[in-house]
Amino acid sequence: MDIGEIVLAIISPILEFISPIVPGETFPYFFTMELFQRALVSAILVTIIAGLMGSFLLIRNLALIGDGLAHVSFGGVAVAIVLGATSPLWYALLFSTVAAILIYEMQSRELLTGDASIAIFLTGMLALGLVTLRIWGGGITSDIHSYLFGNILLIDSSSLNLIVLISIVVIVCLAAIRPILLASTIDPLAARVQGLPVREVGLLFSILTAAVVVSMVQVVGTLLVTALLVTPAATAQFIGRSFRSCLIWTQVFGLSSVLLGLYLSAELDTGSGSMIALVAAAIFAIVATFQFVNKPNSQA
Amino acid sequence: MIALVIQPSSEADLEEPILEVEGLSVVRSGKLVIQDIDLTILKGEFVGIVGPNGSGKTTLLLSILGILNADSGQIKIYGSKPMSKNLDGKISWVSQAASNLPSDLRLTVRELVELGTLNRSNMFSRRRDKQQVDQAIEMVGLKDVENTDIGRLSGGQRQRAVIGRALASKAEFILLDEPLVGIDRESRSSLLKLLDDLCHDADKTILMVSHDLAAIRQTAHRMIYLEETIKFDGDTSIFPDLTELAELRGIKPVHDEVHGHHHHSHKGAGEDL
Repeated sequence: MDIGEIVLAIISPILEFISPIVPGETFPYFFTMELFQRALVSAILVTIIAGLMGSFLLIRNLALIGDGLAHVSFGGVAVAIVLGATSPLWYALLFSTVAAILIYEMQSRELLTGDASIAIFLTGMLALGLVTLRIWGGGITSDIHSYLFGNILLIDSSSLNLIVLISIVVIVCLAAIRPILLASTIDPLAARVQGLPVREVGLLFSILTAAVVVSMVQVVGTLLVTALLVTPAATAQFIGRSFRSCLIWTQVFGLSSVLLGLYLSAELDTGSGSMIALVAAAIFAIVATFQFVNKPNSQA
Repeated sequence: MIALVIQPSSEADLEEPILEVEGLSVVRSGKLVIQDIDLTILKGEFVGIVGPNGSGKTTLLLSILGILNADSGQIKIYGSKPMSKNLDGKISWVSQAASNLPSDLRLTVRELVELGTLNRSNMFSRRRDKQQVDQAIEMVGLKDVENTDIGRLSGGQRQRAVIGRALASKAEFILLDEPLVGIDRESRSSLLKLLDDLCHDADKTILMVSHDLAAIRQTAHRMIYLEETIKFDGDTSIFPDLTELAELRGIKPVHDEVHGHHHHSHKGAGEDL
């Protein structure tokens, strides 16, 4: 049995236990039917790891790398579909990992400054995907559509398996490197003087980002990954007063966005990814407004 | 505020060289930045390096730390090459980055200081030496604000927090690059006092780079004037005045002194090089 199915088997009774108090007409299916449960578990896992990454992406000034890598992974998905692969996400993982490594190297060797390397990979690989599909794949089918905008109900057991695997690896790695990552983000030179492996940790972080992005592709879609990767972490920074509290607030905002987004999309019959992104943005807007009203000039 | 303390040479009995630099030259992007540097620093010394912008001060520090490679010459810290494993926890670096920490970073003083305890052997462990952290926070006088987000601190407090981070490693040799930039006059005095105390009471050896000649002169025992090479190296009491400095540099002085009160000026009053 796959690890994904094991996790689902453990969580499924809990979801069923909660289901009687879940509001809505369609939304309770997420707690009772296996297909929907798989979607819910995936969405929650992805949100947790995206939030963890997001807090670091923000302070590393890499808010847009998620978007870039998501487009790269779309290129991977397109190639996989044309080749008739059964699990396109593995191709996406390969493509975005390679891109993440190359982007990291270009930035750290200062071959290209700032976001330029991200922009080039983003457009280049998206274009590769589109051209490949047009010539060999019969254009944008509904299958492709689900990778662009996310379709949580298309998450099959092999996708869930990959998502669970990525989540475990990301959580274990981030827990291990968190202090080193923080030290090398704040002051890379001081971290090197301390004897910390700044370069290696930066590279590992890039690879983990690529993995997280791939895990998100079916949940929110390549076009919307930033919604879960960056928005909750950015919202948390309005409220958190320490790095630790920001991590917690990020989870609060991320999980609220996902649950509320899934609820609204189920009840209003909209796409899940876009509704999650919209809710995340709305929460950001509300918290930001409160901040402006409360202390108009605190940063001055 | 700070008296010029002329230490009786109590260092004589601790003539242990911490840093030995011989014939060091460094080329950065095709340009010779420093050349033929000879420098020995003994345990317990407080050495100030001054020099105009682009004179190679930071380059010298970065080479000592092993972040930049020497093109010729050699550097030994505690008898080892820069960046070698047995220097772990012995040297610490306070960079200019303190004043430009990421603005969206939420980090408390305590969280920042804790990062200083990391080294090669404990970096994957979850346990942090609480006592070491407490002690460092205490030393830099930030106990009251230890749980405050560093973004809300004044420039002077933030710099203290960054120094606290350096102290948390229990390093004996501390290198500071322009720690006085962006700090108002009063905080600057108390920061210098802190460094002075660290040197005298806590037995630290300090190498500090600054372009604020007046400030550094109040505290350092020994001064180095660097402009591509070392043009002066000696006791602070015999550091040349500005006219003599101009002669050392081979130019005629234009303005001898900077007068007047700099209201909220980042550089503050003082002789600026």
